Amino acid sequence: MLHIDGVAYRYRDAATPALQGVSLQVPAGGVYGLLGPNGAGKTTLISLLAGLLTTREGEIRLDGQTLSAVRAAEPRAIALVPQDYAFYPMLSVGENLRFFGGALGLNGSLLKTQIDSAITFTRLEQVVAKRAEQLSGGLRRRLNLAIGLLGQPRLLLLDEPTVGVDPQSRHFLLDSIAALPAAGTTVIYTSHYMEEVEAICPRVAIIDQGKVLIEGALSDILQTPEPRLDIALDRAMPDDIARQHGAVGEGENRYRLDLASASALPRLLDQLAAAGCGVRQLNLGQHNLEQVFMRLTRRSLRD
Amino acid sequence: MSPRLLALWLKESIALLRDRHGLLALFIMPTIFILVMTLALRDAFTPGVSIDVSYSVIDLDHSPSSQALVKRLSRSASFRTTPPPADLTAARDAILHARQTLVLVIPADFGKRLLTPGGTDGQPPQAMTLLVDPALAPALQLAFRNQVMAALGAVRADELSLKAGKLFGLPTVANTGERDWPDEIRSEAVRGDQNARLPSSVQQNVPAWLIFAMFFVVIPVSSIFIIERQQGTLQRLRAIGVPFRLILSGKLLPFFVVNQLQALLMVLVGMYLVPLFGSEALELPGSTPLLLEWWSVSAAVSLAAVAWALLVASLARTSEQATIVGGVGNILMGAIGGIMVPKFIMPAAMQTLAGFSPMAWGLEGFHIVMLRHGDFADLLPSLGKLLLFALLALTVAIRLNQRALANQS
Repeated sequence: MLHIDGVAYRYRDAATPALQGVSLQVPAGGVYGLLGPNGAGKTTLISLLAGLLTTREGEIRLDGQTLSAVRAAEPRAIALVPQDYAFYPMLSVGENLRFFGGALGLNGSLLKTQIDSAITFTRLEQVVAKRAEQLSGGLRRRLNLAIGLLGQPRLLLLDEPTVGVDPQSRHFLLDSIAALPAAGTTVIYTSHYMEEVEAICPRVAIIDQGKVLIEGALSDILQTPEPRLDIALDRAMPDDIARQHGAVGEGENRYRLDLASASALPRLLDQLAAAGCGVRQLNLGQHNLEQVFMRLTRRSLRD
Repeated sequence: MSPRLLALWLKESIALLRDRHGLLALFIMPTIFILVMTLALRDAFTPGVSIDVSYSVIDLDHSPSSQALVKRLSRSASFRTTPPPADLTAARDAILHARQTLVLVIPADFGKRLLTPGGTDGQPPQAMTLLVDPALAPALQLAFRNQVMAALGAVRADELSLKAGKLFGLPTVANTGERDWPDEIRSEAVRGDQNARLPSSVQQNVPAWLIFAMFFVVIPVSSIFIIERQQGTLQRLRAIGVPFRLILSGKLLPFFVVNQLQALLMVLVGMYLVPLFGSEALELPGSTPLLLEWWSVSAAVSLAAVAWALLVASLARTSEQATIVGGVGNILMGAIGGIMVPKFIMPAAMQTLAGFSPMAWGLEGFHIVMLRHGDFADLLPSLGKLLLFALLALTVAIRLNQRALANQS
């Protein structure tokens, strides 16, 4: 269990804190989605977890121990897979893995076993001898992940690990990441791709401007207690019906309505049918993550 | 052996082997420099060899003495001799049209009045005339005048000894013009263990360009370092827990080895390649202690060069910056440090300035071993300055990294 309690962080000379009072509970053996717009504080939080920055306020504990104690006792317990292709382009895939394995302090048969296992897990067998600079975007992402797995970490921090890859590679990476908890690795996953997070993260947190806006099980976050309706029509909703149900247009004949109760839905559908409006899509009481994200973080551009 | 340090060394070595431009700068460039500069400066380091300036003599006397002077001049002069012009007008014309540089005119009655001090016989003194191309360097004009005066002195001495010998019934030697007087000057370089000839161009140039080449590790060191920083690899290594000083140590040894390979290659070039182009071969000191001293200079230069490269790599944000700071810095250090222009031909102020260049400290060290065969104590000032420079550069590099991290946080 990763326990983040009241963590605040302010960069030197920064006007506002990058993180303030962040508290999260990340259960062991799962993939935890960390979401937020650019500048929300995700990278700062990941940097604190990776040991690149030092916590000045609040506390972070992994299985009851402070991060520095964890690192001292078990240097390979936490691994970071940065968003950059953080390896050597002039070295081959195998040479990169041997180097980072060595940098982790692995040698001999343990090094070989870990390299083989990382290669198999990320399916890099065909390109072991190929120089990293000659790899496609998808293979580079897989190598980046493979390096992160060399130390068999207890906590793996993935910073947007699918940026710039084709759909096939993305699906492969997502499947691989989703399989990591089975091997005992807890994953913290940051991404801007909401459908990815929905697909592989049972728990998520959305942060913005250094604060946690929401945290919990994905199903709870997507569930709305009020009978909120999202509806897409084949033509514009007549004004009188829209007024009556408090519909808010979201463009392209899509509307959001806060119904008085779920029983109001049949009446609405009857009214729409009578007005000749065909229903293309309808969603009651369940949002997708992007809607929750946009609602919580507002729609304004961040950079 | 720490697997982390071993991994860092191996990575650095592979990365360097695949950096073709870096290797070119480290091994091919200095080889070419050594060949070109050794051949170009071949004669500048060896006194007494011929100078590519010619002279001719118009002998209006045609006496045995004037002929003896011409003969002595042709034997002793470093200047080339060319056939004389027909007369004074032709000589002036040849100089005007740059066909001739120096023309010595020996007046009539030169032989008759050789031992007569000017004016003592009641007639006006008749000097020899030297027609000179005004474009000729004053130092060369003076050198030729001095050689004429020396030849004249020898001819007078020959004549005097011949006449005095006859007068006092002493034994005389025929053809004295063919013989050297015992007080002619022979140059000797003063070394610690023995006296020998002056250093050749190759002995000056090989260590000079070796030092220059060693400092060029700044290019590959910074190119790898900047890739590491830009790609986030340094950050990843930090997250893994690899301390920055270990990363620097990981770079120090491979590039130290590269520097020693450069030293070996440059010495081989000096010993075996340079002679193929007609110049003298490089001579290394023969004794083991001197060879060890030579290597200690090479090692100290290498440490200074790699530390400097790591400092530049820590300062530069892009490879362009590294090339400019490192490349221009090296050229400046080389220019003021007596690499490109030998220190001994610099004016005094520039020689003082040279004392601030680490390349000059290295060159001084090599010269102490190779030319003066000095002992280890003689080397200590040069070695001390180089090692202090290396330590300072590494400390600043580590501090810069700490400051950059503090600014990030």
